[in-house]
Amino acid sequence: MKNFPLIPLTAALCAFSLMAPLSLRADVAPKKINLSEFPAAAVDDVVVPVPSEIFSVLDKLGNPNWKVQLRDGKVRTPETPSRIAFLLGNVIAEGFVAVEAEDSERVKDIGRQVLKLSEGINVKKSVITRCKSITDKADQRDWKGVRSEFDGALQDVRAAMDELNDHDLSQLVSLGGWLRGTEVLTAIVQNGFSKDGAELLHQPELVNYFDRCIGSMSPRLRKDPLVAHVRDLLRKIGPIVSESGDSITAENVKTIHDLTKEVDGQIVTGGN
Amino acid sequence: MQISITPLFMCHLTMPYPLRRFLGSSLCAALLLGAAAPLLHATVDDSVSFAYEAALPYYKQGYSIRKDAWGGDLAVHEKKAVSIQLFKGNTYWFLMATEVKGATLSVHLYDDKGNLVDGESWQKGRFAGARVNPRATGTYFAIVQILKSSEDRTTWALVYGYK
Repeated sequence: MKNFPLIPLTAALCAFSLMAPLSLRADVAPKKINLSEFPAAAVDDVVVPVPSEIFSVLDKLGNPNWKVQLRDGKVRTPETPSRIAFLLGNVIAEGFVAVEAEDSERVKDIGRQVLKLSEGINVKKSVITRCKSITDKADQRDWKGVRSEFDGALQDVRAAMDELNDHDLSQLVSLGGWLRGTEVLTAIVQNGFSKDGAELLHQPELVNYFDRCIGSMSPRLRKDPLVAHVRDLLRKIGPIVSESGDSITAENVKTIHDLTKEVDGQIVTGGN
Repeated sequence: MQISITPLFMCHLTMPYPLRRFLGSSLCAALLLGAAAPLLHATVDDSVSFAYEAALPYYKQGYSIRKDAWGGDLAVHEKKAVSIQLFKGNTYWFLMATEVKGATLSVHLYDDKGNLVDGESWQKGRFAGARVNPRATGTYFAIVQILKSSEDRTTWALVYGYK
C-alpha cells in the first residue's frame, strides 16, 4: 500500500483521482483489529488444508525422502461406513505423498483405490472423472495437475456425501486425510528435527475444529470405537499443538507421530 | 486450469461444503418466502466462478488453487471473519469476488492477535485480493467486507492459492 503521509495531501489526491480508474486500488485496512468483536460474525466452516500445503514447506526446508514415506500394499474396503470414510481421506492423503515421491504407478494405484472405496459409500459416480484424470496426469507426470485432482476428488467425495446427508461421514473423510498427512509430516520432521519443521504442527484451531465436529456427530457415531479413539487422540494432541510453534520439541513430534501412526494403522487394517 | 465451471443443474454436486451449506439454508429460506430458488442458486455459483476467475493469474504464476472455498452473503459494511490455518514458508493469495455488478469488496488478513499481515492487497470492482507470507504457522483471519453494493445482501465467495 502507498505511504500517503509522505506525500503532500493535495498531490496525493490529484494523483489518486487520475490513477484510480486505471489501476488496482487498495482500500485502507486498519493495522490492528479487535478479534473479540468477531465471534458472532465469524464463518464457522473451516477449510482443512490439504497435505500438499504442508509438504510444499517441507520441500523448501530440506529434501525429504518421500518414497520411504509411502505405505506398502493395497487397502481392502472395510465394512463400516465410518472406517470407509476415514480410509478414503487417508488414501487421498497418501496420493499427495505419492505425488511428492513422483511415483506415477503408485499414484495410479491410489486413484483406483479411491474409486473402489468411493463405491463402498455410494459416491463412486462423483469421482469417476477425477480418478481418470489422476491416471492421465500421472502418465504425463503432471504433478501439479495430479495434486489438483486429488484435492478435487476430496471435495467431490465430500460434496456427494453431503448430498446424501452424510455430513458426519464427510467430516471423517477430512479427518482421515489430516491424520495421514500429520503422520507423514511428523515422520519427516523427526528424521531431521528443526524448529521450522516442528512449527508446522502448530494447528490449534484445526484440532479444536475436528474435536467439535466429532462432538456434534450422532451419538451412535460418537460411540463408534474408531471415532472415539480418534477423538481421544485429538485431545492428547490438542495441548501439544496449542503451544507456540517454537515450543514444540522433538519429543512432542515423536508423541504425535506415534499416536497418528497407531490410529492410521487401525484405519487401514481395522486393528487386525 | 482444473477448476471446472459446472452446469447449473449440477452445481450442488460440486460446490464446496461451506458454500453448499450456505446454499442449503438459503434455499430453505427462499422456498419459505416463495422466492425463486434457481436464481439464488445461480447467484452463489456465479460468485464462486468470479473468485476462481480472479485466481487464474495466480494459478498461471504457479500457485495451487484450492478447490475448497468459503461463501455467504453480507450487507454493505458488514464484516465476516474467516479463520484459516496457514503455514510459515508458503505464500498465499486470497481472492474474493461477488457476482453483483457494481459492487466493491475487500479482503484483508490478520494474525491471531489482530495485527494486519497483508503483504500486498488490491481491490478492483467486484474482485479483491490479499497476499500473505505468514511469519509463523498458526491461525489467521481473513476479514471480508462488502464496501458498496446496490443489493441489500451481496453474495461473496473466497478462494485461496498457495505456493
